[in-house]
Order: sequence, then C-alpha cells, then structure tokens
Amino acid sequence: MSFERFRNRNRKDADLAEELESHLAHSQDMREARGVSPDEAYRQARVKLGNARTVRENVWRYRSIGWIEDVLRDMRFAVRSLGKTPGFTLIALAVIAVGIGVNTAVFSVINTVLLKPLHYPDPQSLVQVQNVGPHGRDGGANVPKLNIWRRQTGVFQDVAAYDFGGAGMNLTGGNQPQQVQAVHVTANYFAVFGAPVALGRTFTQQEDSPHGGDVVVLSYGLWKSHFGGNPQTVGRTIQLDNRPYLVVGVLGQQFVTEKSFGAEQQADLWTPFQFDMNSQDMAHYFTAIARLKPGVTVAQAEAQMKLAADEYRRTYGANSIGPQSSFGVENLQEWMIGSNRKPLLILMTAVGFVLLIGCANVMNLLLARASARKRELATRAALGAGRAQIIRQLLVESVMLSLTGGILGLILGYLGVRALLALSPGDLPRLGENGAAVTLDLHVLAFTFIVSVLTGILCGLIPAIGSARSNLLTAINEGSQRSGLSFRRGKLRSSLVIGEMALALILVIGATLLIRTFSKVAGVDPGFETHNVVSMAMSVSGDRFQKTSGIAQVVRDGTDRLKNLPGVIDAGNGNGLPMVGGFGMTFDIVGRPKGKDPFTGGAGYLSVGGDYFQTLKVPLIRGRYFNEHDDGAAPGVVIINEAFAKQYWPHGDPLKDRMQIGVGAGPVFAEPARQVIGIIGDTHQFSLDQPAPPIMYTPLAQLPDAETALNSRVAPLLWIVRTQSDPHAMVNSITSALRDASGGLPVAHIRTMEEVEGLNMARQRFNMTLLIIFGAAGLLMAAIGVYGVMAYSVQQRTQELGVRMALGAQAANLRNMVIGQGMILALAGVILGVGGAFWLTRFLAGFLFGVKTWDPTTFIATPLLLAIVALLATWIPARRATRVDPMTALRLE
Amino acid sequence: MVLKRQPEAGDILQGTLDLLILRTLVMGPAHGHTIAQVIERTSENALEIEEGSLYPALHRLEDRGWLVSEWGLSENNRRAKFYQLTAKGRKELDAASSRWRRMTRAIGLILGDIPGEAKEEA
Repeated sequence: MSFERFRNRNRKDADLAEELESHLAHSQDMREARGVSPDEAYRQARVKLGNARTVRENVWRYRSIGWIEDVLRDMRFAVRSLGKTPGFTLIALAVIAVGIGVNTAVFSVINTVLLKPLHYPDPQSLVQVQNVGPHGRDGGANVPKLNIWRRQTGVFQDVAAYDFGGAGMNLTGGNQPQQVQAVHVTANYFAVFGAPVALGRTFTQQEDSPHGGDVVVLSYGLWKSHFGGNPQTVGRTIQLDNRPYLVVGVLGQQFVTEKSFGAEQQADLWTPFQFDMNSQDMAHYFTAIARLKPGVTVAQAEAQMKLAADEYRRTYGANSIGPQSSFGVENLQEWMIGSNRKPLLILMTAVGFVLLIGCANVMNLLLARASARKRELATRAALGAGRAQIIRQLLVESVMLSLTGGILGLILGYLGVRALLALSPGDLPRLGENGAAVTLDLHVLAFTFIVSVLTGILCGLIPAIGSARSNLLTAINEGSQRSGLSFRRGKLRSSLVIGEMALALILVIGATLLIRTFSKVAGVDPGFETHNVVSMAMSVSGDRFQKTSGIAQVVRDGTDRLKNLPGVIDAGNGNGLPMVGGFGMTFDIVGRPKGKDPFTGGAGYLSVGGDYFQTLKVPLIRGRYFNEHDDGAAPGVVIINEAFAKQYWPHGDPLKDRMQIGVGAGPVFAEPARQVIGIIGDTHQFSLDQPAPPIMYTPLAQLPDAETALNSRVAPLLWIVRTQSDPHAMVNSITSALRDASGGLPVAHIRTMEEVEGLNMARQRFNMTLLIIFGAAGLLMAAIGVYGVMAYSVQQRTQELGVRMALGAQAANLRNMVIGQGMILALAGVILGVGGAFWLTRFLAGFLFGVKTWDPTTFIATPLLLAIVALLATWIPARRATRVDPMTALRLE
Repeated sequence: MVLKRQPEAGDILQGTLDLLILRTLVMGPAHGHTIAQVIERTSENALEIEEGSLYPALHRLEDRGWLVSEWGLSENNRRAKFYQLTAKGRKELDAASSRWRRMTRAIGLILGDIPGEAKEEA
C-alpha cells in the first residue's frame, strides 16, 4: 500500500481540475469537427463527462481516509459550537479538569508505590524471608535462622542479610562529625540485589568473617557529597566512630535502598556484618532477603520454608519458635507495599467517585444543551445527516471537551501530586526523596488519556443517543423554548442528580468518620506530657559503647550537663520513646508456675537512663522511679507500667516479686533476676490509636555487656530534654552539651515530642484531609447538579408557572412546590447514599478509632448537611419561580 | 467509531476499466479524451466509457506506479495531460489480461448454450 495516494492532495486536485477542462475542450473540438454547432457541442461535452465537481470530489475522497476526515470536520464543528456557549464550555471543562486532575494525582502515587517494579534486576525473584506466626508475618532474623535458610538451595539462589542501620555511625575526621546511615550487610548482599558497582568492589567473604578488618562501601550520594566524587577515595581510609575504615568501593547511582526497609533515610554506606556463623544468639537483629532460583514460585519456596521451620525446631529445641509458627517468603515488592495498598485504593475509589459526580454534572449540562439544540440537530437531520453522524458529532464534542479537560487535569494532577506528597506523612514507601520517584511517566499519561476518553464517552453517549432519537418533524415545528424536558429526559436528569447526591453523601460520610477518628485519637491521653520536650538521636556504634560502663558514663555525664543548662528542667535517655516504638522481650515472674509455657509472657522492653520518666512526666503510681544509685554495682531493678501490673498481677502485689528478663532469648540477655521497684502510668508506645501495651523498663546502666553491645549496634541512644520554654531555642546549647559529654558525638533527628506526636498522627491527618477535600468537592458538585436541574426545570416551566399564577397560585405555593421537588431528589439521594455508605464504610473499618463504621452521629449529621446544601441549591431557582410574570410567560406562547 | 464506507461507485467495473486503460496505452502515450475515444471506438461503441469515472481510474493507476503522466500539447494544439505506461504497468497489464481471459473462458464454459434462450439481436 502506497502513501502516494494521500500526498499533495491540493496540488493534485488543481491538476485534475485543469485536466478536466482540457478534456471538455477536446470533447467539444471533436463534436464541432463533426459539424455540431458550438453551443450544442459545449452542452454535449458536459453531458458526456457529467459533473466535473463530482469527479473531483470522488478523487478527493479517494485520497482521504474517510473517518479521519469526518472526525476532523466534526472537531472543527465542535470547536465552533463549544465556542458559541463559553459559559457551558468553561464549567464543563473545570468540572472535568478537577475530576481528572485528582484522579491523575492519586494514580501517579499508586503507580509509583504499587505498580512500578522495583529498581533491582529481575525484581520478581527477590523475596523477603519471614517468620510466619499466628499474629502475622515479620522479617526478624538471627544467625541460626540464616544458616537454615541458606541451606534451602532447592529454592534459593542465595540468601543475604542486612539491617536497617538503626543506630547510624559517625563520620569523623572532619571539622564536624556527621551522622550517617550505615547498613550492615553480608558479603553477598550486593550480588543478591544486583547492585551496580561504580568504583572498586564490594566485600569479599574474608572481609565478612569475624576479624575481617574494617572495610566500607560508600553510596554514590555520600561519595559525591562528602568526598567530592574523588575516584582516589577508593583505597583510602575514612574515620567512622574514630576508627579507620578502608573504602573498598562505591555503588552506582541507580542503587536505592528503599525507605520502607525500616530506615528513616537512604543508606549512606555499608559495612560487613562479620557474623560468627556458629552464633547461638536467638535475638532478631537483622532481616534477610533471598533470590529465588529461576522457575521457582513463591508458593514453592513457601512450602520448602515450612520444612525448614521443622528442621529449625528439631535443631534448636521445641521452644525455638512457637508451635504454630513457621518460616515463609513474600515477594519483596508486596512486602514493601505492605499495608499501604488499602489506603491508596480507598483514595483511588474516593477520587473515582469525585470524577463520577463530575461526569453526572457534565452529562446533565450536555442533556440541557442537547434540548436547547434540538432544532439545530433536527435541521441537520433534515439536511441528510444520519443518526450515526449526529451521534458521532455529539460524541466528538463531548470527547473533545473531556480531552481538553484531561490536559488541564494533567496539569492540575502534576501540581496536585506535589500537594498530595506535601500532605503525606512521608511513610509511604518507594516515593524517593521528597517524592522524587513520583513522575508523570507513560503509565500516568496513558491512564489520564484513557480516563479522559472514557469520561467523554460516558458523559456524551446518552445525551447523544437521546438527541438523535428525537422526532424530526415535531422538533422543527416546536419553538426551541418549549422543546425542553421531555418526560424521559427529565427522569434521566433527575436520576443523575440522585446518583451524584448519593455518591457525594458516601464521600462525606467517609470524611466525617475520619474527622471523628482524628478527634478521638487527638483526645487520647498519650500518658506523658509532650509540651516543651525535645528528643534527639545519638549514634553509639563506637568501640567504647560495647560495654555497659561506657554507655552508663555517657548517660550520666550527658544528663548532668543537660540539667545544668539554664532553662532545662529535666533530661533523660533511653533506647526507645513513646510514640516511636521500642523492643519486646520475654520474661518470667520468679516463683510463679508457668505450666507448659517456656516463659510467663512477653512485653515491651525499654532501657532508660537519667530522669527519663520525670522528663516525660510519666506519673508514678506506686514504688519509686530509678535513680543514680541503680547502677551496675547495685542489685538489678525493673519498673513496670500499669497495664503490665493489671495483666500479670490482677490480685497480687508486683512490688513483692522479682522478674527474670530475656528467658530463652539466648546468652546475650543472660542476667540475674530483677526486683520490681515501681509501677508507672501507661504510655502509648506505638501510636495513640493502639492500646497502651504492657512495658517493663530497666536502667541502661544495669544491662549485661553483651546486650549493651547489641543495643549499640541496632539502635541509637535517644535523648529527651524538658525545657522551661520553647525547646527549639535551646537546641544549640543542648547539642553542644551532649557533644562535650560524649567526646564529640553529633545528634540527629532533633524533634520535639509534639512533633513526634504529630508525625505519629500524620497518617490519620493525611487520610482525613484528603477525604475532606474530596468530600467537599463531591458535595459542591452535587449541589451544582441539583441547582442546575431545578433551575433548568423552572426555566422550562415558565409558562406553566405563569398559568398557575394567573389562576391565582400564591408565590409561596410555587416556591414550596419547586423546593419540594428538589428535596425529593435530595431525599432519594440520601436514602441511596446512606445505603451505599452502610455497605462501603466497612472498608474504612481498619482506619477508624473510637467510632463505629455505622457511627450514628455521622449517619444522622451528614444526611442533614446534605439536605441543607440541597435546600440552598434549590432555594435560588425556587425564588426565581415566584418572580415569573404571568403576562410575559403567557406571551411566550 | 469507524463507520463502514459505502462501496465506491464503479467498484465493480473498476478492474475492467483499469485493464482497458492499460491496454490502450500500450500503443503509446495518450491523454484522457483520446483514451476514452480509443476504447469506445475499438469496442465498436459497445463499451461506452463513463467519462466521470475515467479520471479517478487514471489517478489511481498513477498512484500505483503503473502510469506516469506529463503535461504536453495535444493534436489540437491544446494543453493536455499525457499518460504513459510504465514497465510496472506493462507487467500488470499482462497479468490482468491473462486473469481476464481465464475468467471469461471459465464463465463461457459454464454458460455454454442455454437451452430455450432467446437470441439477443431479435
């Protein structure tokens, strides 16, 4: 097939015109030569050829692709026709742009978080190795488990271990030490992730063995920012925690460690774990990923891991993992997305509703417009336009509207997604630094395009078919004034309004439930006083913090120096904070029978120093707080919270008992039993919407050395300071006091406890804010919809209203009649919406706190709100109905 | 929505007209009017060319590369567009005429002498 046919159409047409002229001349010549008179010859020649114009048109059409030609013509026509009604066009464009804009914004986040594959080679074969228990799955691992997992060579190519760099390290040697995110990894970590190496190499097996030397691999970012991208950095030593580390390599820029791996930020550098592979340490302090063998499915690997769990139980004893527990694997991407899928899909549904409401409005506008254009369309039909042609032309109009709206929506979405990310609590995985990973890629563009076209067809099809069906003769004969709301179309418009009211009500009910949740959460007493308390993290990964005495000294000195600062009321520290989380540990209550169980129970477990409780103002219920005499030389003590006391001493007195902490947790936690010396108030350790857990507290100064070493490796030392006034003003003096006390260590993550609480509630605030925005948008559009239908119906019924007035109807009667009709629509929408909400709010259940999914307050208040809005929206057209002048109305006839 | 296009007028005859045009041009370049005259005269006026469909056909054949055209002066000293057969067109003519002969023979075999048929030129 040659494209010659479609090229140079205009030139070829001119050529043909001349050619036809020439033909006629020759034809005429021939006839004259036969003796026909010139006039007759002229006539005959033309009769023989036929209409030259038709010939040219035929060739022109042959040179065009028919439907493109037609659509282009329809588009030109649509532009003209839409231009004639700028008011309608602008409103429809705005509604579509907003609807598509919010959809584009939410979809581009979903695209990044849920849909885009991970940035590693063959990401589908990467799996997170897990413990599977009756309470869910977690990724904790220890060396004995790693050994067993690595033996599953039938399903795994390799298993690598890494931690979250929780404690961080201090990059020293410069003027100012800098805290960096240091991740411990096994030597094969880089190979399993398929990490590109920009310079040098990664770790050898030798370097990842005990006493393998201090070596480090740098991230591209740190290498650029701190070492100026100097290639000579590889082979040099850098100072980490005042120890020399040999830089063996730099990773490629593309390699990202995802935030959701538990770290607060991207890894800056990697050091080898140097595991003793004979370790019997049962505590979980790292996590593992595996690469599946080619062709092995997650299900196959999962089945194999069940056998591995049995093997583990045989090797390490019946209590090494719980009787119903096992091992398993999960696709790495699925694991990272985790619980983020559902809220994102709920958001997508919400914006889908907003778009549907918008569509209903645009469809209503198009129906009204089609009525007003009935004569025009009938005239076109009379001039020979087929039904299909009229439908096509109207569809082209609505699709052009929606595509233009879509382009505007794309711009709105691009801006909107930045707003969305600014609102987001920052704990969505995979978004990159400040959401850099969220881009308008081809998927988003395709999504927006398809949604735009579908919107155009959805909005335009029914009005178009309706218009094309109309009766030619009556339409032309009728005045355009009276050609309005036919019964069927009136019903259609009313059902659209009912539908959008119902959708808006569902959105508003969802938003209200989240508002109520937020206020309930905000009303929860966290168990401590957040005001004027600042917290910060100090990495204690250096050598001198491997023994408890080293930590105890920093804890004591730092607390003393802080308390001596003017304006400081109290100071303390710990390896966990309320609202931030902490660790868990098993324990026995000495002398209490525990039956077949390996230990009495498990609870939250924090080690604290200084005046931790006083600083946070956690109330003392009984006994005493820790003091400076509870050090390594003194007898072991433990403080529990009220929840702990209630659960384990429902009748007895905890202060008379002793506890053995770390039962079955391995030699690291081996220590003598501790006396319970105090009961303090409950604090919400994880978040306000979860009940306060039972927690036991020990003094940092009393931990076994091995446990201190483990703590220093996995968690930073968190400092808290209560000040008399705004702590922000004191950050400099606090950090310099801590630097003096610690021999120059920096602190990071400086946040007031109010900010910590705010971050903790950020998720609820995010969900609530977005649903409020979408609910308000939906409500506004629905109100516009009701207004539009009622205003239109009043306008169409001017005559009827005039007659009624002439027959003596009172203005109030007419007004009430119109309002009543509007409110019937609203009522139907409310009934439908309440029903839909009853069914749909169950999907919100997991995000609610302190309110039921069928919360009566919400289900009464929101329909009332909707009714008021609908009343306002019908009020204006109702007023207009009363102002109809009977004479003018009748004269319209 | 792509609507199906009506068959173009003269589609049925199109192949035949193409064949006749190509055959006519074997004798040398000619302009549209001459081509029409030659076909009518050669067929002893049995085939009357619908001149309106002659030009679309010429343009189609040219697009396919079977003809080339050039403006020149006609026998009447008028400007006219002369069409000339290309090598490709010549090949097509051979193929098309043998297709045509096979088909007419086949149809002839089937028709044979129809019993009871009234003679045409009554």
